[in-house]
Amino acid sequence: MRPLIWGLVLTLSLGGCFFDDSSSDTKQGMGQLLDGNTQGYAAVVPGKQLSFPADHQAHDDFRQEWWYLTANLETETGEQLGLQWTQFRIALAPPTTATEQKSALELELELDPDNAQESAWKTEQLYMSHTAVTTKNQHLATEKWSRGHPHFAGTQISPLTIKQDSWQWRSDDNQLFPATLFVTSNSFSYQLKLDSQAPFQLQGDNGYSQKNASGTVASYYYSQPFIKVNGTIELDGKSIRVSGEGWLDREWSSQFLAKTQQGWDWFALRLDDGSTLMLFQLRQNQSNKQHFYSGRRMYRDGRGYNIASKEISMTPTAWQQTPSGRYPVSWQIAIPSENIQLTTQALNVDSSMPLSIPYWEGPIKINGSHNGLGYMELTGY
Amino acid sequence: MRLSLSVFARHYLKSPLQAGGILVGIILAVTLLIGVRATNENAVRSYSEATELLSQRAQLLLTPLSGSKSLDESVYFTLRQAGIDRALAVLTDTVTDDTGQRWDIQASDLVAALSIQSQHQSQGQGSVEQEKLSLLSANIPLAKLLSGAPFILMSESFSAQVAPQGTMTLNGTQLDVISLEDELGLGNAILMDISLGQRLLNRTGELSYIALFGQAETLTKAVNQAFNEQSTQYFNFTPQDDGEGLTSLTRSFHLNLSAMSLLAFVVGLFIAYNGVRYSLLKRQKLLVQLQQQGVPQQALLLALLLELFTLVLIGSLLGFILGLQLSHWLQPMIALTLEQLYGARLMPGLWQWSWLYQAIGLTFLAALLACYPLFNHLAKQALARSASRFEQQSHGRKQQRKLFIIALILLAFAAVLFPLTQDYQHSLALLSLVTLAIPLLLPLVLQTGLSLVERVTPPGLWRYGVAESKELIAPLSLAMMAMLLALTANISMNTLVGSFEITLKQWLDDRLYADLYIRPPNDKMLETQLLLASLPNVSAIYGQWLHTSHYQNATVSLMTRDDHSLRNSNQIKAQSDNHWQALFNGEVLMISEPMAIKYQLNVGDSLTLAEFEKVSLPPMTIGAIFYDYGNPTGQIIVSQKTWEQLNLPIQPTSIAADYIGEISELESILQTQVSLSAAQLYNQSKIKQRAMQIFKRTFSITLVLNSLTLLVAAIGLFSGCLMLTQARQAPLARLYALGVSRSQLRALVSGQMLLIVLFTCLLALPTGALLGYLLINKVTLQAFGWSIAMVWDWQAYFRVLMVAMLVSAVAVILPLLWQTRRPLISSLQKEVL
Repeated sequence: MRPLIWGLVLTLSLGGCFFDDSSSDTKQGMGQLLDGNTQGYAAVVPGKQLSFPADHQAHDDFRQEWWYLTANLETETGEQLGLQWTQFRIALAPPTTATEQKSALELELELDPDNAQESAWKTEQLYMSHTAVTTKNQHLATEKWSRGHPHFAGTQISPLTIKQDSWQWRSDDNQLFPATLFVTSNSFSYQLKLDSQAPFQLQGDNGYSQKNASGTVASYYYSQPFIKVNGTIELDGKSIRVSGEGWLDREWSSQFLAKTQQGWDWFALRLDDGSTLMLFQLRQNQSNKQHFYSGRRMYRDGRGYNIASKEISMTPTAWQQTPSGRYPVSWQIAIPSENIQLTTQALNVDSSMPLSIPYWEGPIKINGSHNGLGYMELTGY
Repeated sequence: MRLSLSVFARHYLKSPLQAGGILVGIILAVTLLIGVRATNENAVRSYSEATELLSQRAQLLLTPLSGSKSLDESVYFTLRQAGIDRALAVLTDTVTDDTGQRWDIQASDLVAALSIQSQHQSQGQGSVEQEKLSLLSANIPLAKLLSGAPFILMSESFSAQVAPQGTMTLNGTQLDVISLEDELGLGNAILMDISLGQRLLNRTGELSYIALFGQAETLTKAVNQAFNEQSTQYFNFTPQDDGEGLTSLTRSFHLNLSAMSLLAFVVGLFIAYNGVRYSLLKRQKLLVQLQQQGVPQQALLLALLLELFTLVLIGSLLGFILGLQLSHWLQPMIALTLEQLYGARLMPGLWQWSWLYQAIGLTFLAALLACYPLFNHLAKQALARSASRFEQQSHGRKQQRKLFIIALILLAFAAVLFPLTQDYQHSLALLSLVTLAIPLLLPLVLQTGLSLVERVTPPGLWRYGVAESKELIAPLSLAMMAMLLALTANISMNTLVGSFEITLKQWLDDRLYADLYIRPPNDKMLETQLLLASLPNVSAIYGQWLHTSHYQNATVSLMTRDDHSLRNSNQIKAQSDNHWQALFNGEVLMISEPMAIKYQLNVGDSLTLAEFEKVSLPPMTIGAIFYDYGNPTGQIIVSQKTWEQLNLPIQPTSIAADYIGEISELESILQTQVSLSAAQLYNQSKIKQRAMQIFKRTFSITLVLNSLTLLVAAIGLFSGCLMLTQARQAPLARLYALGVSRSQLRALVSGQMLLIVLFTCLLALPTGALLGYLLINKVTLQAFGWSIAMVWDWQAYFRVLMVAMLVSAVAVILPLLWQTRRPLISSLQKEVL
């Protein structure tokens, strides 16, 4: 579950804007891209059967979508390292209406036999990718944007490819795993082998993930929390061998957030009993209202069960001021029904992402009833 | 001192006209100075900060190989996949609207442009005005733009100018205009997403260039790596400078503007000086009285200086505000000129407080230099001798002779040095000496002229009138000097522009000998040639081959034409014996006049280019120099034989044809049979029309500044006349009391003024011609490399003359009318001087 864009939609719809805090009447930025009219886009409905590998591909008829990988890695010298790669897809217009709105120009040009070929530049899809590498002392984050275009960004069926320019998830066949993830940027590069034998975990009700108590907003959501990762990272001119465990989230929807929700705290935790735990809290903008919680305990053999909102309690214990905002970087998490009592600590408290959309994302360590590692994402602060 | 200051303040309160006169001068001077300065500095800043549209300044461009118009878009794909994502694909071309007017348009990968822009911002380097811009800005409707729908982007001010209804029809397609704030730096560009651009231009899969951002060396290395070191098979690398190229290309244009603004500044100062002098003259008695009351000289002098400074301060501040407004009006004019002539895009204006400080400093310094002797003289005058008119005048006559001699020395100095100058900046400096000398000639010339007239005037009222006119020269001379300066400048500029227009027209007539010029895309060139050859009514086909090269780090065009065109399309300025034979034998080449002057090359010199060295051809002798008024860059013409030796593309860049019959017939044949667009066909009259249009725009700014200077001088003359006529109320009232009728009085005073103005205009005739001659044969030739035959325009001269007469007539008659309404006795009491 990745609430990044949802948090945005919410915040923007309330008038506070990540991108331009000067304007409150006209919706700016992501708000303009993501909020508002969902008419014409496909709706998320309960009971839909997800099917693979087809659902690994982009769903252009939905408004937003992402492929989201986090990994807790270790270098050969035993140093902890976190890595994040995300590819977002944002539809600027529903595919169907774009065809309906064919202009006089297009009709005219298409009549001309020389121009009958469709321009690949023409698109309704915008892609944005983020990647970050976090060590105890360093946090490097970078992003890239491009339009949907067979040569720039999009997905490909066989071999399964999810790519934006030189950032590419390339599978060996039409399945997600095994695959290699290639990323090159000005500040760092990496090449990781990703493999997983575990079945996919369908979040919520068979992949239908509710985002508020009343169930008016939801997404399709599945995860792979058991990924074996190894490869090399080029950092500071050095090539470092790394290995560890990764976690993939896949999610798409046309409307993610209710208007009253303002931000998001999300955890992907690997407990030392071999299970994994996905937890999130959707914060209401009015403090008197109950926040919405969701969670799922998952096992390598494919077993898993959801944890109800009322079972979960999450309390921030320490805050950190970063250039892009003040974030709660340590938490106390309690799920009495699961006998879980945890405290979390960030590997690097300065893991804010100062990108087009600022947020905090980085590796964490957990202690308490269970020990282990994981990832945390904080938005809407 | 406080006493003197308060006395002065009371004085000005009593006669606001005097303070007004001084202020008007200062305000006008500073307005023009600031107006042009803001315009110029903004242009230069635009060159150095020029960016790709809605993006950043590129450090490296990948451009098509010579001989081809486009890059394949796959080059862009390869770069992006190789991780070079700070890259921007751009397609530029010219389209026509439904009235046949041509527009340059630009289509780019808008997502790349905007994301490069926002990356730049997040690194804290974005300029203030562009900070609002990002991929997510609400004012950029990405959904519409990326969908290939007919939407184009323009700056607010440009769209208000060219597409007030919000639509524009280009290449037969109606496009909706989305206007963006001027601060986003679109200037006068028409921008669209490449998804629309490629289809609108019918250039699917093509790019004009790829802009790369980052460090040029690193980029070159990365690009070479991405193309397995085979880059040069696909494109050329073109490093971008920091605007030095454009700055140097346009330097002479801006220098001309600066010179004009300085001239206007000087004219304004003349007016201010005149005002100061007049107010001091009026206060002569007062000053003596103050000293007699025991105010020390020092305090008096200090008070005068303080008063001057206060006036300069107020005047400069007002002038500064007006100047910025003026620049706001001038900029669109300049922007069009620079864009059409040099391809430079101007950004919205900025201004700086430092301009105000500098203007105050400069004005105060100039005013101080001009007025201090006057102050000193007044403060130190003997207490016993109060104002004596005689002394004033005899002092005046001596002064006139002194000024005349100074003027002669200046002129002689310039005359000696002028033949030696090669650089237009030196010529301009000498020109300013001449400009300074011209008004200094005036008082003595007027005096002598009036003495001559006096001799032939019958005695009586009229001789009295002429005799009195001589007495008026001293108080009026400054206003007349300003007028003379403005008239001279106006006449000389009119001469320059008029002469240039005639020269340009002739050159265009010779240069454009064919009926239709055709620039088909590469893949249709052969087809077009074959079609033309098959048409019976096509009487001749010509070709032109063009290659962009570099000479001493500056871009030059290396070109050739078919033999007939070579012989007939070039006006030769200088040539060696047997030039044509030698040219066709591939022994010599020709260069354009601007290039010859810029690099001081002459017939007989030799030059070489990288292209020559590549095929180990030795440097080639210059066989001829031809006139060129159409290109901002240098041109080198070689024969077809040399072209082949240089291994340059055999396919012509453009072709031309002569046609027997209606040229529109041929145009429609080409459009239907080879499907060339109207934008690829240029008929002769269209090119001429457009060239003259650009010409007129280029000089419109000059003419505007010129008219402003004349206006400033007219205001000066007006305020001078006004003050003088007021001062003469008493003598005129005396004449009236003696029985001279009011109508006679009016005729007398108007006659006197017109006589003086007429003499001034007469003097402006030779001085204007002199200045025009120097402008044409020295400054323009050296700065732009254009030889122009000087053509004297009597009509323009008389027009200017009429303006001057009219202004002075109004300036005299108004105060006269006011005066005749006043009771005689109050005028008689105004015995002041």
